[in-house]
Amino acid sequence: MTSTTDPQGAMRPAEPYMNPYLAGIGLGLVLLASFVIMGRGLGASGAFNATVAYLELKVVPQHLAANPYLSEYVGDGSSHPLKAWLVFEVLGVFVGALLSGLLAGRVRRTVEKGPRVSTRARLAAAFAGGSLMGFGAHLARGCTSGQALTGGALLNVGSWAFMMMVFAGAYAVARFFRWQWR
Amino acid sequence: MAMSAPFFKHGLFGEEASLIVAFAIGIGFGFFLERAGFGSARKLTAQFYLTDLAVFKVMFTAIVTAMLGVTYLGWMGFLDLSQVTLVPTHLWPQIGGGLILGVGFVIGGYCPGTSVAAMATGRVDAVLYALGV
Repeated sequence: MTSTTDPQGAMRPAEPYMNPYLAGIGLGLVLLASFVIMGRGLGASGAFNATVAYLELKVVPQHLAANPYLSEYVGDGSSHPLKAWLVFEVLGVFVGALLSGLLAGRVRRTVEKGPRVSTRARLAAAFAGGSLMGFGAHLARGCTSGQALTGGALLNVGSWAFMMMVFAGAYAVARFFRWQWR
Repeated sequence: MAMSAPFFKHGLFGEEASLIVAFAIGIGFGFFLERAGFGSARKLTAQFYLTDLAVFKVMFTAIVTAMLGVTYLGWMGFLDLSQVTLVPTHLWPQIGGGLILGVGFVIGGYCPGTSVAAMATGRVDAVLYALGV
């Protein structure tokens, strides 16, 4: 399934992925637990913002002060910007994914791409896509986790509009970027 | 049954403990993301080439599961729905942001959450993606 640039890295064949409906139920129960325990849903882009805000605070504080969106993540300075709910949640995501990957023999260092695409091109596309994603998440105040998944489950009108638009935007341009996987 | 959830909003535990909860919930989130194959850009973007609809299946199963749970627990009077934080609706930014996000998803191959799962399983392209975010 995955194209591996370093075939020697494969210790044993990777197990197939879980049935998507079962994985969906699992994910839904995690989300439900978050609602019941915390009264909030899941997120991801917020943790990226908090990290950037923290780095700017350390390196270029005047640049951060000029950016009200990021400044929100630092607050009044009474608590550490990385001591935030989403930051800990995303650390958990890393650990959870690592655990699942290790159990299934799916952890290996690789650049995921089609066989005819240079590593450099794929990495550049990944970076560009990430930048666009950061901008889009800034506008919409959330990403696939915070808006589509969380807001979607709560039947939030704006989140459903957001989700439709993510798919619309993706399908509209998908054919122009298929070269990455060929 | 008396309203007792969300537990955090009812003061069952404080800020410090909530970070441990965050970590635990994140582990569950990341675990099922990776189980579903969402640590792989190829698998994720296959949705947009209609060769593998796992993104659709997993996402909507998750949404329906959580939605049913929230509705049922709310109806039983266990979960106080007014205490569950909603993302405010600002339709135009959400429409514009969604479109840009979709394009970024196709080009980059991940979304912010799945890029973390991908980094955890060794994808170097996901590291570049996260730097872009």
